Amino acid sequence: MDDHAIFRSGLKADLDPDIVVAGEAGTVEDAIAVIAAQRPDVVLLDVHLPGGRGGGGREVLAGSAPLLATTRFLALSVSDAAEDVVSVIRAGARGYVTKTISGAEISRAVRRVAGGDAVFSPRLAGFVLDAFGTAPADIADDELDKLSARELEVMRLIARGYSYKEVAKELFISIKTVETHVSAVLRKLQLSSRHELTRWAAERRLL
Amino acid sequence: MTTAPVRPPLVRSSDRVIAGVCAGLANHLGWPVRMVRIGMVVAALAGGAGVAFYAWLWIMVPTADESARRNARRPASPIAPAVSAPGFSGALGVPGTPADPGTPGTPGTLDAPGSPTPGSWWSKVPGMPFGKEILLGAGLLLAAGILIARLLGVDVPLGTLIPVAAILGGAAIAWMQLDETRRAGLVDRTKADQAGGWARLAAGLALVVAGVLVMVSGSGSWEQTWLALLASVAVLGGVALVLLPWGLKFWRDLETERAGRVRATERAEIAAHLHDSVLQTLALIQRRAGNEHDVIRLARAQERELRGWLYRDADKEAGQLSESIKAAAAEVEDALGHAVEVVSVGDCVMTQRHEALVQAAREAMLNAARHGGSAVSVYLEVTDAAAEVFVKDRGPGFDPDSVPPDRLGVRESIIGRMNRHGGTAAIISSPGGTEVRLRLPVAAASAGNAAAAANNANGEAKP
Repeated sequence: MDDHAIFRSGLKADLDPDIVVAGEAGTVEDAIAVIAAQRPDVVLLDVHLPGGRGGGGREVLAGSAPLLATTRFLALSVSDAAEDVVSVIRAGARGYVTKTISGAEISRAVRRVAGGDAVFSPRLAGFVLDAFGTAPADIADDELDKLSARELEVMRLIARGYSYKEVAKELFISIKTVETHVSAVLRKLQLSSRHELTRWAAERRLL
Repeated sequence: MTTAPVRPPLVRSSDRVIAGVCAGLANHLGWPVRMVRIGMVVAALAGGAGVAFYAWLWIMVPTADESARRNARRPASPIAPAVSAPGFSGALGVPGTPADPGTPGTPGTLDAPGSPTPGSWWSKVPGMPFGKEILLGAGLLLAAGILIARLLGVDVPLGTLIPVAAILGGAAIAWMQLDETRRAGLVDRTKADQAGGWARLAAGLALVVAGVLVMVSGSGSWEQTWLALLASVAVLGGVALVLLPWGLKFWRDLETERAGRVRATERAEIAAHLHDSVLQTLALIQRRAGNEHDVIRLARAQERELRGWLYRDADKEAGQLSESIKAAAAEVEDALGHAVEVVSVGDCVMTQRHEALVQAAREAMLNAARHGGSAVSVYLEVTDAAAEVFVKDRGPGFDPDSVPPDRLGVRESIIGRMNRHGGTAAIISSPGGTEVRLRLPVAAASAGNAAAAANNANGEAKP
């Protein structure tokens, strides 16, 4: 889902051949209709999609809310501003990549999202660390409100440019465990209404 | 106020005793401040002339900040250095750090070194620049003449003159608004300004009404005055009722027009920016379409510049650590053509020790871009305890111990520099890539320690 036809065709050409493109759309309305009709496994969603009420990718996510259980969304944007990234993630996207990403990487990200995992770019990890703070959670804290020490470590390594595989090697854990941690962080990012997260978001006019 | 061109403009100085008038005057005339102050006091003792003069200057002369704000032109568009110089090679200035060309239109900041420099708005200089001064001067001269005449025994009808003066003064105060609002431009209308405006309007109104009352009541009885007052209030109310819709419509039109103008200005600013940056870069890219390296470098530099412009944090002041790291990354990116991705968490104000951290990080980025041969990830984390920088590449890696001792890059510029400033540096290299980890604890090494450590360049000089 992207409003630039050139970018869409370029992306299609870049994707691995075994990823079938089920449909395309250039506006919010088209996107919601196409997603409802095709029921794809993964939707590559531009954050700044024209049409609708001006909500862009967020609006598509809201419009496709009943499908969120079966269809996964991967946000895609040229923007790496905090408000864009965090708002689509909180609206339900399973990951976020920038458009400068290579074809191989985006194919990998699509597969990962299709498998139910989250895709974190270093920048998104940076935002997460910024929002949740870098101090690990106490046991007493509400678990949604802070990242555990392990999750913090994983986020830090991702922010430092480590791939999931490298994170796993560095922390002597399996890739599966890394993915579990990342998914947990994603869930916290989506569900937490923590005071600090709210304040952080308010400072950046996210909510 | 005719000033020789060499003189600094007459502005109220920030180095003030009362309102900075004397210091500003001294600066303007090139006289010693002390002399001016003594002169002012002497003049004040001589019948209060000094006080009047001081008050006049206080009202009429803007402060250095105000003057700077008023004179400020729009800052030149932030042009990416990479796109403005077509013939350059790798040697690029860090955007922002080289001696800024500065805004030549702000001479008022001379005596206020720390004064904030101007926003991007500038308002038109009112048509008649000294009208207010001339009017007030004439008024004061008139008052002085009357006082002298009374001293000489001439009978001056003070009973009518004072109310007239009050009316004139009130009207002047109210009318000054007009100039104020025009000067304030479109964005400076803060709440405080508006409150001041209302207070001024009320004061002017009270003065005029009081003056009129005194004048009218001087000629008749109180009952008549009250009746007249009532009648005039009724008439005024009627007029207001008739004119209100018209006034409101006028006001709305004005607001619409103002909003339109703001939009137009914004559009013009965006257009100017795009013209100076993106269009230039696109033109350059077309001319050098054959050179892939150049095209990528130009595109990266332009992307970075545009991103910085679009998503800049207006509240974030300059001189932060993350800004410096980003600037260093931009420099490396321009020089070597590999993308350097900076992610930062937390921030702090730059200090001298952070300067060393930035230098070391820059060296690490250079090495990573040069030998890694691919995208470089930089992660900056500032916590209460320390500032940490991680520079990672995906190059073939190297063995830090096998670097010949004469190669200063890693040993001296990174490890040695960090150690000298009380920090640590570690280099972890594997075939999958190299990571440089720099850590600078907040608990600062004392200056003496750092200096002693500086002599011991290669040692483990950690405090």
